[in-house]
Amino acid sequence: MELSVIFVIAVALGFDFVNGFHDAANSIATVVSTRVLSPRIAVMWAAFFNFAAFLVFGDAVAATIANDVVTQQVLSIGVVFAGLVGAIVWDLITFWFGLPTSSSHALVGGMAGAAVAKAGVDVLIAEGLRKIGIFIVLSPLVGLAMGLLITIGIFWVFHRTRNTDRLNRGFRLGQLVSAAAFSLGHGANDAQKTMGIILALLIASGHAAPDAATPLWVVLSAHTAIGLGTLTGGWRIVKTMGSKITRLQPVGGVAAESGAALTLFATSAAGIPVSTTHTITGAIVGVGAARRLSAVRWGVAGRVVWAWILTIPGAFAISWLSFRLVDVLS
Amino acid sequence: MDRRAIFFFGAAAVCLALVPVAGGYAWVASTVAGVYVLLGIASWLDARSHRRL
Repeated sequence: MELSVIFVIAVALGFDFVNGFHDAANSIATVVSTRVLSPRIAVMWAAFFNFAAFLVFGDAVAATIANDVVTQQVLSIGVVFAGLVGAIVWDLITFWFGLPTSSSHALVGGMAGAAVAKAGVDVLIAEGLRKIGIFIVLSPLVGLAMGLLITIGIFWVFHRTRNTDRLNRGFRLGQLVSAAAFSLGHGANDAQKTMGIILALLIASGHAAPDAATPLWVVLSAHTAIGLGTLTGGWRIVKTMGSKITRLQPVGGVAAESGAALTLFATSAAGIPVSTTHTITGAIVGVGAARRLSAVRWGVAGRVVWAWILTIPGAFAISWLSFRLVDVLS
Repeated sequence: MDRRAIFFFGAAAVCLALVPVAGGYAWVASTVAGVYVLLGIASWLDARSHRRL
């Protein structure tokens, strides 16, 4: 295998590692804030289920990223590299400005931008981009509805319960299961995006056939990278996040994580790359909306909408420029 | 009118707007829109009953 291919695979796995590092807070912030687990144990819990996701889900999301964003004829090492650069730079810019951006959408925008820079807009696959675009909007709304309906369901089932201490203890334990489920969904959807990028690279460099399934070493390395990212760095962010979300009770944590996990399971099975951050944000808003709208931090929800609007064009533009630069330099 | 009901009806409108462009996933957008319409109606009735108490 050429050195350039190995280098781009390393960059893709680095992107996956940072994703785990950054998104760990989404999976376990509520478990930490309600003191069910210590930050370190919670991170190990999430990392394990991030990794275990490869046993449960296939590679439908990876196939969408590799085959349904741009035509395979346009794929090259330069296109994949420029696409990754666009996604990484966009993530860093939005991290700096505090926008809850989606790495998934940045990857899609990045791949599209680099491919268009190489061969024009004809290489974009309208059907695949439409599917991804529709679910950029739908996934937080589905997460919101799920979080809200599960909260209502829980209140309905337990409304006669007098022993609230016992009930809270039960939901604290239930959070272990819901956090594990969300981590499983996170590992499945996000690690598969990296698998898709590596698969596209292998196809572009002639190391895999155009219709090849994702090789096992790619599956394992992507899930290992996201799990290690969660394990090594996540707890620092979780400590901050966990202390900020003080209003979410164990019952709300279970409802939000379960709602988001169900959304991620369904989209992963259908091969749709969605933002795990936006999905859990939607589900948390849903839990808040079950009480009253003023319980929701609308500032966060508004920033998600800005992230929707800006991410794909932003990553697209940076990747377009990156490919031009790579092209001139090479 | 109840602000929460307005929010749910707004979410339903967003989902309905996606139906014509959603292709094979139009049923997902329609279903989610239906759920939000039901939530909007339930929220409006809930707010109305609270006002009457």
